[in-house]
Amino acid sequence: MKAALFSAVPYGGQASEGWPVPADLYADETAQRSYSAAIERFRLADETGWDWVTVAEHHYSPFSLTPNPMLLAGALTQVVRRARIAVLGPTVPMLNPVRVAEEFAMLDVMSGGRIVAGLMRGTPNEYVTYNVNPQESRERFQEALQLIRKAWTEPQPFGWQGRHYEFRSLSIWPRPVQKPHPPLYMSGSSPESGQYAGENHIGIGFAVTTLPLATKAIGVYRAAARGAGWEPTPDDIIYRCGLHIADSDEKANNDLTSGPPRGRFSISNPALESAVAGTSYYGRDFEAQRNRVARLPTIKDAVDNGQVLFGGPNSVFQQILKIRDLIGAGILDLVLITQDDDKARRAVELFAGKVLPRLREME
Amino acid sequence: MNFAEHFVEADGFRIRYLEAGQGEPLIWFHGGGGLQLNRLHALLAEKRRVIAFEAPGFGVSPVNERTRSMEELAGTMGAAIAALGIERYAVMGISFGGKLALWTAILNPERVAAAVLLAPAAIRPQNTRPPMDPAQLRAMLYAHPERVPPMPAPDPEQMKKSMGFAMRVIGPDRDTAFEARFGTAKMPILVVLGTADRLIPPEMGRFYRQLLPNCHVLMVYDAAHAVDVERPEAVFAAVDDFLKRQDKFIVRAGQSALFP
Repeated sequence: MKAALFSAVPYGGQASEGWPVPADLYADETAQRSYSAAIERFRLADETGWDWVTVAEHHYSPFSLTPNPMLLAGALTQVVRRARIAVLGPTVPMLNPVRVAEEFAMLDVMSGGRIVAGLMRGTPNEYVTYNVNPQESRERFQEALQLIRKAWTEPQPFGWQGRHYEFRSLSIWPRPVQKPHPPLYMSGSSPESGQYAGENHIGIGFAVTTLPLATKAIGVYRAAARGAGWEPTPDDIIYRCGLHIADSDEKANNDLTSGPPRGRFSISNPALESAVAGTSYYGRDFEAQRNRVARLPTIKDAVDNGQVLFGGPNSVFQQILKIRDLIGAGILDLVLITQDDDKARRAVELFAGKVLPRLREME
Repeated sequence: MNFAEHFVEADGFRIRYLEAGQGEPLIWFHGGGGLQLNRLHALLAEKRRVIAFEAPGFGVSPVNERTRSMEELAGTMGAAIAALGIERYAVMGISFGGKLALWTAILNPERVAAAVLLAPAAIRPQNTRPPMDPAQLRAMLYAHPERVPPMPAPDPEQMKKSMGFAMRVIGPDRDTAFEARFGTAKMPILVVLGTADRLIPPEMGRFYRQLLPNCHVLMVYDAAHAVDVERPEAVFAAVDDFLKRQDKFIVRAGQSALFP
């Protein structure tokens, strides 16, 4: 198994509530320090042997200072020397897909072929950010994905007459180093997404989910893949969850007395959330999909549900085995839930020293 | 838009054609299944004079044992166009008709102003043949068969005659003697391919782009081989713009401001 260190690059200071979050408490220095801390953490992960580092796109919130994760990934190509750099990912339906293809190609060249391309639909609130209709999100996503793949692989200039996108002549430079293109993943939380990923031979990622929901979703994915004539391997499946690891279970418990902190997205703006939910954004598994975003678990519930890995190295390893057995995931994408710099650094080192070697042995 | 049926005598054949619209002439060549008009033709005929030929050997015409090749068939069709008194025109065709349109452009470079090739069968992946079974054929023609209303089953005898003729004259998957002449077709040519076409996959576009001196390739998303039937508005928008502005169609024109 492989492990990735994910950071949304949270703003490390006080901020107002809601979404979009007002900038009234914003401090320049705090923001600069937040980027430095995140980059430093990624550098440490690279040095200590983590397989990937991961960035993602979110807007208008102190939860994440990477409205364009491609920019951070660009910086990381010069700092992270060995690990793969995963962008999981740009929120494709809101962006120019040609630009997304170009940026991934740039990153792949700049990193010497170490880019992992996740294409995402984004959380519901993102649809307000660039004024894109959430009702068309899935269709736009699917078309953009096909266009991006063509832009990477088609050697001659071509035009695109889509349903949502129209281009008369495109021929991207540079070209991705990895052939035919960087490893491709999409979110597979909803049955519609799992179905599409399976049918189109695309890797799948689970985030903000629970083991029971992911177990159900992975079944859809595997069945669709089988129908399309291929069998997903562990490397096709990414499972993202929280992580707090300390030298022992007891120390971990002392570090964190409350539940994992929550992001401030759609759930911070009930009017927005219900407006988006009123479109077909969540697909046919509507209630389950909304609940997985809305739940505020205790740490024990979060561990039981596979939302967080928590404890000393051995406990964390046992929790990983459960995820592997139920989901068949080969890549863990882990977000540190402690806000404390020293504890976070210790967690990165401890996971690399005590857990990663045991994950390698499983291969 | 009502298409009127006519016949023209040319090269020893009595050739059926359907015509509608006024303005710049646009010649249409059908695919291997024969002449069937759809919404794309109606849209085109609102803007120009559309003449849709039924090639000898298809549809109501008798069995054609005389024509031996696509080049000969293009010669016959060129004579039919001339017999109508049309001196300069655009030519457009799908699949079998796409190859016929390209031959027509190559044989009549001074008359053909522009060519539009939809899912052209001029360059094909090795050993791909359209299935003869109607259900399989339907699955091959459409990315979304469920969205396309069922069409009247073609007369089996007519179908056998047409497909037999098409297969006899279509030529090899890669026709090197033909391709060697692509360089002489200097008029603007638009090649339109469905992203879900398994008969003429979109990857075929790159060959036209390499071999034709003035070629644009356009991929139509979420359409299979019958790109005209599946996405007529999308195909029409691009083709109409191309026929009007030719090479300049790559530059966006018109108003885009939301509230000018």
